[in-house]
Amino acid sequence: MPGGRVVLVTGVRGDWGGRVAGRLVREGYRVIGLYAEPPAPQIEGADFVQASLHNPALADLLRAEGVETVCHLALVETSRPAQWTFEANVKGTVHLLEACAGAGVRRVVLKSSTAVYGARPGNSAFLSEGHALRGSRGQGIVRDLIEIEKYCAGFHHAQPDVQLLVVRFASIVGPTADTPLTRFLLATDAPTLLGFDPMMQIIHEEDVVAALVHAVGSEVAGPVNVAAEDTLPLSKVRGLAGKPLLPVWHAMIYWAKRRSRLQRLPMDPDYLRYPWVADLARMRHELNFVPSYSAEEALREFGQWRRSDRRLSGAEVLARNESRLRATIEYRQGSGQRVDAPPAAEEKEAHE
Amino acid sequence: MSNEEPRTPTPEQDGQPLSNEELRRQLVAELDELAGRLKSTEPAYEPPPFSPQRLVRFVEESLKRFPKDIQLGILDRLRNVMSDELLSVETWQGIWYMLNYTVQYNVDVVKRHLTGEFDTDEWGLDWELLDMMRPLLAFLYRTYWRVEATGLDHIPVEGPALLAANHSGQVPWDGFMITTAALNDHPAQRLIRCLYSEAIPQVPFVAPMLARMGQTLATVDNGVRLLEQEEVVAVFPEGTKGPAKTFKERYRLARFEQADFVTIALKAQAPIIPVSVVGAEETYLSLGSSASMSRLTGLPYFPITPTFPWLGLLGLVPLPTKWYIDFGQPVSVADYGIDAASNLVLVAQLSDQVRHTIQDMLHTRLTQRRSVFR
Repeated sequence: MPGGRVVLVTGVRGDWGGRVAGRLVREGYRVIGLYAEPPAPQIEGADFVQASLHNPALADLLRAEGVETVCHLALVETSRPAQWTFEANVKGTVHLLEACAGAGVRRVVLKSSTAVYGARPGNSAFLSEGHALRGSRGQGIVRDLIEIEKYCAGFHHAQPDVQLLVVRFASIVGPTADTPLTRFLLATDAPTLLGFDPMMQIIHEEDVVAALVHAVGSEVAGPVNVAAEDTLPLSKVRGLAGKPLLPVWHAMIYWAKRRSRLQRLPMDPDYLRYPWVADLARMRHELNFVPSYSAEEALREFGQWRRSDRRLSGAEVLARNESRLRATIEYRQGSGQRVDAPPAAEEKEAHE
Repeated sequence: MSNEEPRTPTPEQDGQPLSNEELRRQLVAELDELAGRLKSTEPAYEPPPFSPQRLVRFVEESLKRFPKDIQLGILDRLRNVMSDELLSVETWQGIWYMLNYTVQYNVDVVKRHLTGEFDTDEWGLDWELLDMMRPLLAFLYRTYWRVEATGLDHIPVEGPALLAANHSGQVPWDGFMITTAALNDHPAQRLIRCLYSEAIPQVPFVAPMLARMGQTLATVDNGVRLLEQEEVVAVFPEGTKGPAKTFKERYRLARFEQADFVTIALKAQAPIIPVSVVGAEETYLSLGSSASMSRLTGLPYFPITPTFPWLGLLGLVPLPTKWYIDFGQPVSVADYGIDAASNLVLVAQLSDQVRHTIQDMLHTRLTQRRSVFR
């Protein structure tokens, strides 16, 4: 039992931060949510502190509150690299880790992505945690994550007293998740590469929250890959998600990308061309985490949700959105009991 | 159209064996029912007019092209085969329905692959697609190259093994034929997982097709993982230098690019089985290779043969040589232990030993061979 251990969650106003904080409260942790800008979020049973990650007094806060574990979820996800995201993500994480080391925090959990390995033609079919980080530097969040992870590797050696666990998640899929893969699957005009069909790894958004909560309570340190047990070819991912088939000759996509015609490609073409599947041995045997959704189940759910949206007329979509908003209002005014699946997910099932 | 087979009434149901006559009646009734169902699902369909007389006339006309004595032999055999059933219209309608069913089934497979309703293992192996390709592979194996495989019993019925083979022919068909040999003729019908070169993942269509057949990239991690899953893995230690050999250099084993295959076998504690393939070298007469065309096309090598590139892709049709695939005595690595994988001297020695074994097997087979084509 957690027994009132103090956990500081950064980025509680974000989707992941909010859900993880709510879940930690229900598991019996004492949760302090850190947010950078008002308004303060509403999660029953959690305390909130407004402070930037760059604040020099952060270490004092951690020490004063007796924080035992920090769960860092305050990353800004952008598709293009920019100076301000580097400041917010990389510098922010560095400052947070320094504060943790100074305040004697025992454990830090970080959310990363298996995209840091990079999709390369020479990749083995299953990449273990020790594989070199050669992710695409053209993607903002991937570039920042690689920088963060490189710093973490050094931090791990310099501060052996702090258990630093980096959870590398595969492509996240779910009805409310907004990730490169969901954007790719939802965009009808996003092409696949003709004649390429790499194996893909998926994790359901609820399993992401569950894995982070599990990680807070575990004693494992270092990087750990987390994904559903089954790997699927991209063509199956596309088919189950109900995305129309649109293969384009790869040279054309790379050409268009170089000429900046396709600035808004949801996924880097390399990640649709070469494998970047992670080995899950550490997840199974050290972290002992078992995802509740298989990749196939997660994608079927996603596909149903997507198809139900397309079948409805404009008025019906409006009505559904209205009822979804009403449910959200009710939930915000009501008990504040944070449910696992957000209202949107329940609404979806009512329509199937 | 539904793909479910109609429930067949089994003879055991009555508790006593049925006579041939009854079985026959049941079969006819079943076929009638199937025909009825097909008619109800597709009312517009009319079976093509068929007459046994036309078939016989067609056979007679074709026969005229053969010499007299062969004609008589074929007619004799035909007469033995021909019975009342073969000449009845129902039989041929039945065959037509079966063909129709096969086509529908294949269309259904393609449709399901487009909507993601198919299953692969974690490496991307899709048995359904592999089964669709098997007739073509079997044709190449039995009819086109008339492959003679010996020593298949050296592949264990269960448990891991690492095959190391010579690589040849400008288009490496040898991997497919080694796979087909074990899939068709091995008692346990084992699927061999070939490891392909690092040039493959960048070529469109080839990498996904090989993955659906259970193949994967040649890395130590992949090899060890497959062997630990008790699979049979095949490697071509010559790398791309093997198939790139010109005709002049045929059956001279190229230097083994890396001794990684020994490392794989030691780490997974799997026996190494040397394999020699004879006949694949002569499928193309490579006179040389063009470095500039190789750079231009992005292929690892660009062969010049009497037909390629002059006839385009048609120039890539292989010659129907006679093939021999010999599976040699397994080399056990159990004595060395897992730690030996980091012993570079031992790895190099084992690699040389396997290389010499394959070269010897090639020479033995070559001296026995009478002709390239027979």
